[in-house]
Amino acid sequence: MRIVSPRGLTVTIGVVLSAGALLTAFPFLWMIFGSVKPHSEAVGHPPRILPEEPTLRYFAQLFGELDFARYLINTVVVVLISMAGVVLMAMAGYGFAKFRFRGRGLMFFLVLATMMVPVQVTMIPTYLVLNGMKLTDTLVGIALPGLVSGFGVFLFRQFMVTVPTEMIEAARIDGAAEARIFWRIVLPLSRPVMAVQIILTFIGAWNSFLWPLIIAGDERLYTLSVGVSLLNRQIATSPSLQMAGSTLMVVPVLIVFVLFQRHIVRGFTLSGLR
Amino acid sequence: MRQPLAPYAFVAPALLLLLTFGVLPILVALPVSVTDLNLGGLADWSRVGFAGLDNYRRLFADHAFWQALANTGIFVLIGVPAVIAVSFVAALLLHRSENRFFRALRAFYFVPAITAIVAVSLVWGYLLNTQFGLVNHLLSIVGLPPARWLGDPVLVKLSVTLVAVWRGTGLNIIIFLAALKAIPREYLEAAELDGASELRKVVSIVIPLLRFAVFFVAVTTVIAWLQFFDEPFVLTKGGPLGESTSISLFLYQKGFAAGQFGYAGAGTVVLFVIIAGVTLIQLRARRSDADR
Amino acid sequence: MRRASWALAAAGLLVLTACAGPGPEANAGGAPKELTVWIMGDSSAHFEQLVKPFADRSGIGVDTVAIPWDSVDQKFTTAVASGNGPDVLQIGLSKLRTFADSGALLELDERTLKDHPGLAAANFLDGVAGFATTDGGDPVSVPWVSDTRVLFYRTDILADRGLTEPPATWDEVRAHAKVLAGRGKGRYGFHIPQWDNALPVIMTWTQGGRIVDAAGAIDFDTPEFRKAVDIYTGLYADGSVPADPDFDQVQGFVSGVTPMLVSGPYLGGAIAAAAPELDGKWAVAPIPGGAARTSLLAGSNLAVWRASDNRDGALRLLDHLSQPQTQLTWYALDGQLPVTKAALGDPKLTSDPLTAVYAAQLADANPLPPVPNWDGETGKALLDTLNSIVLTGANRDTALRDLYAATSGTSAG
Repeated sequence: MRIVSPRGLTVTIGVVLSAGALLTAFPFLWMIFGSVKPHSEAVGHPPRILPEEPTLRYFAQLFGELDFARYLINTVVVVLISMAGVVLMAMAGYGFAKFRFRGRGLMFFLVLATMMVPVQVTMIPTYLVLNGMKLTDTLVGIALPGLVSGFGVFLFRQFMVTVPTEMIEAARIDGAAEARIFWRIVLPLSRPVMAVQIILTFIGAWNSFLWPLIIAGDERLYTLSVGVSLLNRQIATSPSLQMAGSTLMVVPVLIVFVLFQRHIVRGFTLSGLR
Repeated sequence: MRQPLAPYAFVAPALLLLLTFGVLPILVALPVSVTDLNLGGLADWSRVGFAGLDNYRRLFADHAFWQALANTGIFVLIGVPAVIAVSFVAALLLHRSENRFFRALRAFYFVPAITAIVAVSLVWGYLLNTQFGLVNHLLSIVGLPPARWLGDPVLVKLSVTLVAVWRGTGLNIIIFLAALKAIPREYLEAAELDGASELRKVVSIVIPLLRFAVFFVAVTTVIAWLQFFDEPFVLTKGGPLGESTSISLFLYQKGFAAGQFGYAGAGTVVLFVIIAGVTLIQLRARRSDADR
Repeated sequence: MRRASWALAAAGLLVLTACAGPGPEANAGGAPKELTVWIMGDSSAHFEQLVKPFADRSGIGVDTVAIPWDSVDQKFTTAVASGNGPDVLQIGLSKLRTFADSGALLELDERTLKDHPGLAAANFLDGVAGFATTDGGDPVSVPWVSDTRVLFYRTDILADRGLTEPPATWDEVRAHAKVLAGRGKGRYGFHIPQWDNALPVIMTWTQGGRIVDAAGAIDFDTPEFRKAVDIYTGLYADGSVPADPDFDQVQGFVSGVTPMLVSGPYLGGAIAAAAPELDGKWAVAPIPGGAARTSLLAGSNLAVWRASDNRDGALRLLDHLSQPQTQLTWYALDGQLPVTKAALGDPKLTSDPLTAVYAAQLADANPLPPVPNWDGETGKALLDTLNSIVLTGANRDTALRDLYAATSGTSAG
């Protein structure tokens, strides 16, 4: 029995979601407003949400006095390198999902095991390995430890299990090579999870802090995260400057996400996966 | 054309990277945990001595270790169901419509997940400040007393968990949304024609079809929360008096920050065993459930 | 979608080959080599300005690398593990013992310093000169910048309550604070930061006591320390101090909620930046005390990496940085106080009322004892004990007994 019309339900849901969205995004709004507040307003009491005398002084400081333009470029490069990792993870997920082979169970457990290690433990061994490979103080070295994640492989595996095996078998019978099957059939069908993983990889690489800090021998290779961390002096911080740095870190990601979203949806309705 | 080496070829690159940067450190932690490796030993290997099970004995005798363990347990028990429930419900609601408005809303829910923890801590630290923060200011406007969000032994756990849940739902909403999109429309349309209500559609069709996604989110969320580090580190540094210290943070402070790598190694091994154990239980439960 | 990800990956690889890091060829042989210097926080831009005259004069390039404060442990650890370190690095006093114990720093004995009279211990403040941190060993660092703790107070708020002079003893502090807390609900008289493990030590020193015994080990079991505990817990018991762990010092002082507190010169800068309208309404005074007015000597030193391939250049840089003129220039650029006696006596500093107080206080200041990991162990135990007494009502005698048991015997150098 339908009590509420479908359109009415949609509107109600819309309202509920909007309230939730506002609450969820509120700290983010606070951060953006904080980035243009002069120092006296930032530490003023009682706290006001909107700035009274907004100023772009802090953004100018980031790009002028501090080296944030360079940090931005480094971050973009690290993100681009990390995209190669998405393909590697998709391949591994496919291998674990659709094949039976010796050692599969052990290998998959090892993949999961990498998620169970706090990252501080990996710090020293990773540095020593990269040092041995002469990759310290390079952007490749910075991107390498985080290139592939157990989480990503796990994610791909879970979704690729649902890919219809009949299609793969049919292609095999037709004589297609495994690689071709992967590129032409499996990957296109995995569009939603690919999109998810690309977004996750993007975020992870964009916000990466530990590896750029340790592996860079020079601040010329620092990323945005490290740059913002530099703004944290021992006690006397400039809150507005930190907010400006943080805003700079978040806004581009948000833009990419918004643009990317439409692409996913469009790709989906055209893909014929029904 | 049979290519028997194909699976190995697919799996090898990722596996190689994971072995080098993920498995190797665990393998290193085990022998290190039975030595007294510290900063000096790192510089000069001849200064490292065998310590037997001393590190483990010290660890289990340390009151702060058990406190951190208990705290982590509380975080997991409260946080994981919260994250799963909130993400699932939000994804369901967001999936309702594909119009521009709903698509725009998604971005808002996603924002906490993409914000770097450095920024998150800054903002929440200001908002939750007991004396000068916005939240208590708003409470005072409506006549409620201020709360010690980050100062009270009980409240601090809730505050830290809240911030972590706020951050953690974004990713999982995306995963659930992707899974929801993979549900063939015909199933839902057929159910509607049969007269099923919204709620019934969700319970009988959506939830069962999303089993994979729910399982995935559950396993990864538990693993992540057992390693809870960022939020307590930046918001409270584990205080006050260790009330919000998680096991990972304890390891970091007692072990790595103090250069006691042998001790940290022992703690790492213990933590790894716990996480592996919990995960295996979850995997077993799933397998027996799937067999039914 | 798949084509897009390929394109992204290809673009990435192109970009990376173009932007590959500096590479080891950058420092190929040849005469004056470059010096890599690790500087904390965001001071690196200013530092480059400071060393420019040195670089021009000596032909030795200086490459400054900024290290975030919170991450210095990670950077140092990986450097020690791999052997790849800088040539010169800035080290906060509290970390000095830990870093010295690693053996990665160059010992600065008389022979090494022979050609660098500017680095002789006599040039520096008595409290930190020749600060030897290894057991009977030579110093492994030279002082660079100093920091101390003084009393900050709001002259206008105190005058309002009839208090015309800043308190000179801790009893006066308690009395003043009680009066100020009487202004009403939500108003206090003093602020004790719950993370400040130096304040109880300062309180002990001003009673004429020490926390390191004659054998060089930590010993809190002294009557002076117990007096300090009384002061600390008394301020809380009077209701003069807020009990929130996240209380913000700057906001507290600026808003008037806590019109008196003990802090360092950085607070002066922060107040000036946050509330220029308060100019003239606040002042600083020497640390209150009874038998002594000894305060904290904090700051940073500079060390040379033992495995550096340009020791001579590094020492010359240190020499340059210790020159009184350089020290004064650094103060003007970055706001960090000098540590050489000559610079501290300079009229440029003594003519300003604020810095005059800081400089005078520095003449009577001690560094914290160089125990390994003061912040994580001894200092933490001290704070936990005191905070458990004042915040959770733990029994004072039991708590103190536990503190003595946990900390006594810890070697301080």
